Amino acid sequence: MKLSQIGMQRLLRISGALIVLGLIVEIVSLLWFHPLAFVLFAFVGVVLIGFGIVVYLASLVFVVSPQAENRQ
Amino acid sequence: MLGLTGILIALIVLTIVLAVFFLVRPSATAGSAGKILAFVALFILPVLCVGGGVSAHMQRSEQTKFCISCHAMEPYGRSLYVDDPNYIPAQHFQNHRVPADQACYACHADYTIYGPFKDKLRGLKRVYMQYVSTPPAHITIPGGYDNNQCLHCHNGARSFEENPVHQAIMASIVSNQMSCITSGCHDTVHNVASLGHVKFWRPAQ
Repeated sequence: MKLSQIGMQRLLRISGALIVLGLIVEIVSLLWFHPLAFVLFAFVGVVLIGFGIVVYLASLVFVVSPQAENRQ
Repeated sequence: MLGLTGILIALIVLTIVLAVFFLVRPSATAGSAGKILAFVALFILPVLCVGGGVSAHMQRSEQTKFCISCHAMEPYGRSLYVDDPNYIPAQHFQNHRVPADQACYACHADYTIYGPFKDKLRGLKRVYMQYVSTPPAHITIPGGYDNNQCLHCHNGARSFEENPVHQAIMASIVSNQMSCITSGCHDTVHNVASLGHVKFWRPAQ
């Protein structure tokens, strides 16, 4: 399946979910005073937030909005 | 520190609220205001939260209580309370020659532009050894203890520079050819193996 076929709204949902999960992990890492907290933040939280941002940017770049399609 | 972490957590909660809004109602991006809000909620604010998180974690790892929260470092933390002025770290910690809440960082940090990141990578390697591979029986500093860590504070200090012993070997000290702590001059450092036989200082509450 091509990215453009998934639809902007679905990509926004995926992006939002990934960012929310990543931010919850970041809050846990900030409240947990342990050397593993940084590992949790860097390898789980940042990765989830990063993927969420990439999916959001991909939705802007690759998905053609219905308005743009109508104009063509 | 708690104040900054509190502000960061408030920012994260705000970002979560906005991200949940677009998770529930992605159709809100149909209008231009919705598009701008989505850009802020799903790009600008998460980037700020990650940056704030990196900064908060870097600052936290400078704290003495963070270093000794690691099981392997616990005896090194106890050695700061040895009641013997010959113990160099204990003497510095107890007399506030280094900030007591950043005692480990003050003497072990790499004072270069990317020093904190190099230290963090070294710390991650230790975490890997502790939880995945085999932790070493004795903790050692790769390449030995650099005199520059001492000179960062002592260089230029009157008591250090006017000391005749230091004056005689200053070139060797500065070039790191003669170690401050392993050359026989200031060789009582953490000595964690002997902690069972020493007296400890109890700070007044």
